[in-house]
Amino acid sequence: MSSSDDAPLSPRSQLALSCFEELLDCAVADVASECHRIARLGLDRSVDAEEEELRVWAARAAVGGDQHHPGGGGAAEEGGGKGGVDVFGQTHPAVAADVVECMNCGRPVVAGRFAPHLEKCMGKGRKARTKTTRSSSAGRTRSSNGIAAATSNSPYSNTTNASRASTPNGVTDSVGGAGGNHSNHGP
Amino acid sequence: MVSGRRASINRPPTPSAEEDRDKEPSLEEAINIKLVESGEKEKLMELLRERLVECGWRDEMKALCRAYARKKGRNNVTVDDLIHVITPKGRASVPDSVKAELLQRIRSFLMSTSLR
Repeated sequence: MSSSDDAPLSPRSQLALSCFEELLDCAVADVASECHRIARLGLDRSVDAEEEELRVWAARAAVGGDQHHPGGGGAAEEGGGKGGVDVFGQTHPAVAADVVECMNCGRPVVAGRFAPHLEKCMGKGRKARTKTTRSSSAGRTRSSNGIAAATSNSPYSNTTNASRASTPNGVTDSVGGAGGNHSNHGP
Repeated sequence: MVSGRRASINRPPTPSAEEDRDKEPSLEEAINIKLVESGEKEKLMELLRERLVECGWRDEMKALCRAYARKKGRNNVTVDDLIHVITPKGRASVPDSVKAELLQRIRSFLMSTSLR
C-alpha cells in the first residue's frame, strides 16, 4: 500500500520524505484532537450509551426544575441546553431568586420578576398603568406636547411623546418612558 | 537582563551571538525554517489536509477514533491514545497519489532554495 521507500534515496528525497512525514503527523494530531473533543463532549450521536445518557439528562432536568439539586451529579457532565447544569456542575432554579433594587422606583424586586415589574413601573407597555389614569394623562400629554418640546431635557422624549400622544401611559414629564433604557435614570 | 542593549526589565535576556555560532542548525532544521518562513509549510499543510479529506482518509481515521472511544468509554480517552491508535494505520493508508503530490512539491521547493 505504501510506496516503496526501501531503495536508497538521495539526500534530497530523504529530506522530502521526512518533511512529508512531519506534515502527516500534524494531520494525524489534528484528527486525533478533533475526535478526542467529540468523544469528550459527547457529540457523537451514534453511540448506544448516548440514549441512556439522554434519558438520565431528561430525568435530571425534570427533577432539577422542582428542587435545588446541588452539584447536579456527575462531574464530567456537559449540560447541553437547559439541562440544568453549568460548567461548574451547579444547577440553578428556573426563576432567578436574587433580590435586586429597581432603579426606577427603588423597591426591592425578585430578579426573575424584574422585567414584568419594570413594565408596570416605567409604564412603557401598552397595558401599563401607574400613577395617572388614562383620561387625565391624555389631557396632560396632549396639552403638554408643545411645552414638552421646548422644555424637555431628554432628547428622546420628544419623539416618544409625539408618537404616543394618543396612548398615554401615565408618563410624568421628565421620564421619556417609551425610550425605556435611555431615559434619564442613568446608564 | 543585562545584555548591553536597552531591553525591558521583564524580558528574558536575548541569547548573545557567541553562543549561537557554536551550534549550526542542522540541514533539516534549516530546511524547516525556510519552509516556515516562506509560508510554504502552511501551504503544504493545507494541501495535505485537503487531499486527505477528499480521499476519505480523514473519515477513516475518525471512524477508528470513534470505535476506540466507544470501546474504551468516551471519557477515558486521551489525545495521546488516539494519536497512537491512528498513526500506524494512518501512515499506511495515505493514497500513493497524495503522497507523490506532496513529495513532488516538497522536492521542487527544496530545489528552488539554494540549499542542496
